[in-house]
Amino acid sequence: MDYNAQLKLQAWLDGELPEREADEVAQWVARDREAAALVEELRITRGALAGFNAEVRLPESREFFWSKVEREIQRLGAPAPRPARATYLAQLRRFLVPASAVAAVVIAGLMLNRQPGSSGGSVATEMETALADSAAFIYRDFSAGTTLVWLSYPADNETAETDDMDTFE
Amino acid sequence: MRAKLISATGLLGLSIALVLAPGGELRAQAADMKFQAFLLWGTDNATPPAGKTYQPVAAEIRNKLKELPIKWTNWFEVNRKNFTVSQREVSEVAISEKCHVKVKKIGDSDLEVSLIGKGKEVMKRRQSLPQGELLVLGGNAPNSTAWLVVLKRTD
Repeated sequence: MDYNAQLKLQAWLDGELPEREADEVAQWVARDREAAALVEELRITRGALAGFNAEVRLPESREFFWSKVEREIQRLGAPAPRPARATYLAQLRRFLVPASAVAAVVIAGLMLNRQPGSSGGSVATEMETALADSAAFIYRDFSAGTTLVWLSYPADNETAETDDMDTFE
Repeated sequence: MRAKLISATGLLGLSIALVLAPGGELRAQAADMKFQAFLLWGTDNATPPAGKTYQPVAAEIRNKLKELPIKWTNWFEVNRKNFTVSQREVSEVAISEKCHVKVKKIGDSDLEVSLIGKGKEVMKRRQSLPQGELLVLGGNAPNSTAWLVVLKRTD
């Protein structure tokens, strides 16, 4: 039996032949044992396959499913977005970060090299006084910009018998 | 490339500014300081001691002395010395035969002042003395009088 004859038998079994041709095939099967055997085999095979041909249902509509496939294809095929041009703020940051580091280093160096005792301007200066006599006192008039250091030197008893101006003249 | 150019130029400018800024301070510190030192005698009498021709102290100083907690009403100028102090140098001026003042400039407006009496260091003081301000050193003198050494920065 050739291949076309086998196909015709399968089509007849599936009910796909026109009525006149189907009658001819039926007569053929009735008188040809080989054809009848093949039809029987095909019928058994179809019955066996029918039990495993479970229907698969999509959770969404056909149109929606294929639109998702289309969008995924477009997404994967789209060119990678170009990196945005650096903003002015980003450029400024690129400048400020190293500049701040340099400034910090320079300022630290200046502070380390600063000589002790230097006032550095109008900042109030720490005042130090080393006095030979403990009875001295210091008075500061900030409004007048005057500092008074009153000393007990020379002691009265040292100069009591001296002339008026002996203590300093 | 432009950003790199800006950064490099900015860094260079900043570095130059930071280097020059302290230079200005150094130049200011290097300037000399000019002073006047006065030796004053204080009394409640209206006239100087007999045989002395002391002149009353200048009004500017007298007015500032009035603000200080010292009781004498009249101040006479016994001696006056003008002198200059350079950076980190010590200037010593003899305000009288027995009294010397040593001034050392240690900063922009900072000084170290020492009072020498009869060859001994009586006091050493470190403080800021901006232009126009006074440092007054004083003590009691016999017969209820007083002596003052007034240090005034003039420039």
